[in-house]
Amino acid sequence: MFHFLQFAATRAALAVITLIMVSFIVFSLMELVPGDCAERYLAFKNTTGAQISVADIEAERVRLGLDKPYVVRWGTWIVNAFQGDFGDSCILRLNISQLLGEKFWISLVICLTSLLVAYLIAIPVGIISATSKSPVVNNSLRLVSYLGLAMPNFLLALMIMLFSTMVFGDSLTGLFSKEFRDAAWSYERFIDFISRAWLPIFILGWSATAFAIQTVRALMSDEVGKLYVLAAAARGVTGRRLLWRYPARHSLGPIINSLGFDLNRIFNELPIVALILTLTEAGALLIESLARSNDQQLAGAIIFLLTASIVGINFVTDIILALTDPRVRRSILG
Amino acid sequence: MTSPLISVKNLTLRFKTDEGMVTAVNDVSFDIAPGEVLGLVGESGSGKSVTAKALMMLNAENSVYDDNSRITLRTDEREIDVLSLKRPKDQMIIRGGAISMIFQEPMASFAPAISIGDQMIEQLMIHSDMTPAQAKEVSIEMLNRVGIPEPAHRFKQYAFEFSGGMRQRAMIAMALSTKPRLLIADEPTTALDVTIQAQVIELMKDLVDEFHMSILFITHDLGVIAQTADRVAVMYLGNLVETGTVRQVINTPAHPYTRGLLNSLPKLDDLEAQLTPVPGDIPSPLDRPSGCVFHTRCVETAGIAEQCRTQIPGYTSDSSNHQVACHLATQGDQS
Repeated sequence: MFHFLQFAATRAALAVITLIMVSFIVFSLMELVPGDCAERYLAFKNTTGAQISVADIEAERVRLGLDKPYVVRWGTWIVNAFQGDFGDSCILRLNISQLLGEKFWISLVICLTSLLVAYLIAIPVGIISATSKSPVVNNSLRLVSYLGLAMPNFLLALMIMLFSTMVFGDSLTGLFSKEFRDAAWSYERFIDFISRAWLPIFILGWSATAFAIQTVRALMSDEVGKLYVLAAAARGVTGRRLLWRYPARHSLGPIINSLGFDLNRIFNELPIVALILTLTEAGALLIESLARSNDQQLAGAIIFLLTASIVGINFVTDIILALTDPRVRRSILG
Repeated sequence: MTSPLISVKNLTLRFKTDEGMVTAVNDVSFDIAPGEVLGLVGESGSGKSVTAKALMMLNAENSVYDDNSRITLRTDEREIDVLSLKRPKDQMIIRGGAISMIFQEPMASFAPAISIGDQMIEQLMIHSDMTPAQAKEVSIEMLNRVGIPEPAHRFKQYAFEFSGGMRQRAMIAMALSTKPRLLIADEPTTALDVTIQAQVIELMKDLVDEFHMSILFITHDLGVIAQTADRVAVMYLGNLVETGTVRQVINTPAHPYTRGLLNSLPKLDDLEAQLTPVPGDIPSPLDRPSGCVFHTRCVETAGIAEQCRTQIPGYTSDSSNHQVACHLATQGDQS
């Protein structure tokens, strides 16, 4: 217990340090973009016909606090960010928290649910396929896996949309029906969300599952051949107990370990799917703000939230690993 | 003579592989008496581990036992036809019950994320009606018996927290906790330092007497065999080439392969002596030599080379049951 608490405390401290470092990098990247918010805003005003002087820009800088030293501004940004306040968007002049609203959390929920579904399927299937000697089982699983790995997400999304339009007359796009789009959360809105969100979850989960099956299968095949499994059989351990308590349990460590990485991978795939299904979510907004509108405040906020989620997941998986594997518990930094 | 604890008769075992059937063990027969230590010696690939695993039906699923093969285990209550045990429930008696096994690498034979104690309790509860509390008590007692200090504390620890020698002691404690009649020790000291090796061997000898069990001691190290075994069986390419008491086999080896093994041992009392390894490599089991399996590497075939190449030598035995499968021995009988 002592080792575990020590481990958890160290990991929590490391997570906070990581977040602070990440915030510095994100903030620096925002600063590296040529021009600042004051210039950008006034340049925009200029296009509307207003006359802008250098003094106006300076006044705007003072108003936004941009005249303060770099470190002070970073400090202000990070303190506010930890409280959920990311300031205003340069371009849209709106508070970022308002602008993002629930979009980020919806994206996160979609990604996490896809991952959850992927592993709920992949863990039993991967374990069975690694231990099954039946060529029928193995070959059909291989086929499904290759289909999942080889078929691009957008193609699958397009095919399902086409099919659904032809059969149901509804393309299943968007995350909410019209009447719920701007409504407050309620039971009905949640049901409406589920009835739409299963499609992006399915599409993202499809390739994630195929990927995860391959991983679980490889880890499990490796583990069943180990001496301790034979030794357990030699002690009289049999059947499911021999499978789950020995190789299966020991092969899950690396999978738990890679969940943070998986979340990042899925979040990167989300915008393409979102584009096709016309979902309004944070991934698409990130690309928009980075590539088109050059809205560094907004992009920084999304990147920071995403990184914070990954750091958070890594912390949780570290704790799970420490609970399941004594070797992890005893290695404070390992 | 008391009836043997375990009899292996005409054990032939093949593995089904993509390249065809591979013979791993060929017509092997031997007995182990109660309380006896039988050393099984041979190079890697000679089939000694496969033979040992056959006693517990632990070989991989692609293994095929020949119809004539018989393994009979006699416990106090009954005779068990080992190879007829098909269901896992029936196999439990030979897996951790009447027979236990310890392996070459004690680190790898414990599950890394399960404590030593939990694995010991598991085995005891499979093979007895003990409650977890009783099983724990017995386990700690066993750890104490094999010389592990602070057994109650060590019980809760994991394999990675033990030193090499302590791990093998814990492995022995676990294997013996169910009071098996036969302990199979597959190169139990090979991975240990020489000093630790001596301690572990000493411990095993003590326990044989105390528990009055038999040991099948597998090793490639004739020095270890000389210290531990009562009788020795020498294997080459799946065949048993010579069996006899330790004295017979080491002092008057009858098979050229046994002589080769003994000559290849370094001698501490004569540092000038040349090491004479057995020439050549062990042939592929996919391409077993005709006649005597050893003839491709034998240096004593002069005059009978044709016979060695074409005829399979039968076993000849002297009055004291020192058996050898070699054409030289048969010739000796004839002259």
